[in-house]
Amino acid sequence: MRPALLLLLGIALVLAVLGSALAGSVHISLAEILGAVFRGRPLSTVDREILVSIRLPRIFAAVIAGSALSVSGLLFQGLFRNPLADPYVIGSSGGAVLGASVGIFLFPAVSVGGFSTITLLALAGSMTSITVVYAIARVNGRTPVVSLLLAGFAVSTMLSYSSYFLEALDQDFGVGSRVLASWLRGAISTPTWTQLVIAVILLATGLAGSLPLARRLNTLALGEEYASQLGLHIETVRILIILIGSILTAVAVSLGGLISFVGLIVPHVARLVLGPDHLRLLPVTALGGAIFLLIADTLARTILSPAEMPVGVLTAFVGGPFFLYLLRKTRQELQA
Amino acid sequence: MTTLLEFADVSFGYTAEPILEAVNATVSAGECIALIGPNGAGKTTLLRLAAGMLTPASGEVRFQGAPLRRRSRQHIARSIALVPQNLDVPFAFTVEQIVEQGRTPFIRALGGLQRTDREAIENALELTDTGYLRARIFNQLSGGERQRVKIALGLAQQPRLLLLDEPAQQLDIARQMEMMQLIRSLRSQGITLLASMHDLFLIDDTFSSVCSISPGEPLQQGPVDEMLCPESLERIFHCPPGSLPRKEICLA
Repeated sequence: MRPALLLLLGIALVLAVLGSALAGSVHISLAEILGAVFRGRPLSTVDREILVSIRLPRIFAAVIAGSALSVSGLLFQGLFRNPLADPYVIGSSGGAVLGASVGIFLFPAVSVGGFSTITLLALAGSMTSITVVYAIARVNGRTPVVSLLLAGFAVSTMLSYSSYFLEALDQDFGVGSRVLASWLRGAISTPTWTQLVIAVILLATGLAGSLPLARRLNTLALGEEYASQLGLHIETVRILIILIGSILTAVAVSLGGLISFVGLIVPHVARLVLGPDHLRLLPVTALGGAIFLLIADTLARTILSPAEMPVGVLTAFVGGPFFLYLLRKTRQELQA
Repeated sequence: MTTLLEFADVSFGYTAEPILEAVNATVSAGECIALIGPNGAGKTTLLRLAAGMLTPASGEVRFQGAPLRRRSRQHIARSIALVPQNLDVPFAFTVEQIVEQGRTPFIRALGGLQRTDREAIENALELTDTGYLRARIFNQLSGGERQRVKIALGLAQQPRLLLLDEPAQQLDIARQMEMMQLIRSLRSQGITLLASMHDLFLIDDTFSSVCSISPGEPLQQGPVDEMLCPESLERIFHCPPGSLPRKEICLA
């Protein structure tokens, strides 16, 4: 059943990419695109420019961000042993935005080993905030819903407003402010192809790193003490989850800013279909997240055409009620 | 009988105040020992020390002659399994998925379950009579079923020594009898057992000996009938002499 499901999701992703490439205020037909891909028939210069420089980068950005957010949600839910741990809810996205803002306002032109300081600081911000939330929210090795949500709320709020603080320090009201504004609204940008290549490398690293962690997340579900009794190196696993989850969050944030609830909805739906085994969930979550965010972003840029809304608006509309439903369900389970 | 586990002058406390002081005890291969003592005497702590989850402040816990603290957790988990009182699982794992986790100490860094692992899992399900529950969600099981699945999880580790923390707690009387039947059948399989027991009435037919810990008293080990006689229990549980009924408790 699993290979069939993956194949199905793969086909859905290809269709979603095609559909999204067709959608937009300038009409480009399917025949034109297929002709260009399979027959080598050249597109008109304008169409080509729209596809290659605008639509495709944006499509790939949504695919990468959706996949990264969903998998980091899956990892964090396993680490916190709590289905509500979404990168946005627990503050790791906020940390990445703050880190990236420090990069954009204070060290915009510096790069370390090919990676811009913006990416590296986003990663550092995400890791720091998740570590803080993790340390605060845990009570006797467990993470009760209330303490997780409160710690996540406090840290996210602080971080988002710290980003505004940095913006206020910015003297020339330039590029940085515009980028920050789009991050905070959760709008997927149209990245350059270089940015996309770096994002793909980081996503691939994150997915590859998640694979050996998946089985360990199943063991971790028994509780840290039990998992450690079974010979699991809790500290190593914990650090790896925080590192890899943060890499994925940072990738997503660098492409789309604060997109809420994707990391909550996608793993949850996957869990409903496949059960909680993280090994089975991982590939399905990665593909499902890509499809979900791509469709959401395509809708976000077309339904109010010619105006666009940030995809963060849509995911919040869908994800908010979903989050409340999950919260209610978790509460019932706690009372039972 | 060969000594499997040995406590040599073990002291331990979570704070500066020690819970266990200079404890000496041995568990030989094939024994089935009930660990008794008043609430808060340190039964769970003793089990956790025996599983290498805690390190003694002084003294040494040895398994097959070698100090536990020198062994890796993974190494220990291949010989000793501790079944905790409570196991809460946040997601809807099935019984089989839960029991599979018992193979964690045997799985290579990037590997999966091998044939030997599958066999160990099947064996554990069979011994605990939980095979028919394999596809059920662990969180939806009754108390007695859960308890048996927890023991299956411990057995999947194929331990030389199985430590049970209050296996009969919060079970109704029929489920308690089932649990004791399970312990007897594990004992007949040659599995060495140390179980903390709250309910003294359940000990008699099932365990081969009793070990008692009590604040201010040295740890004692002895045959069931001697250890469960009223005089002994009054000392262990700090009751005034003559306060325990002479007939009912002294079942032996």
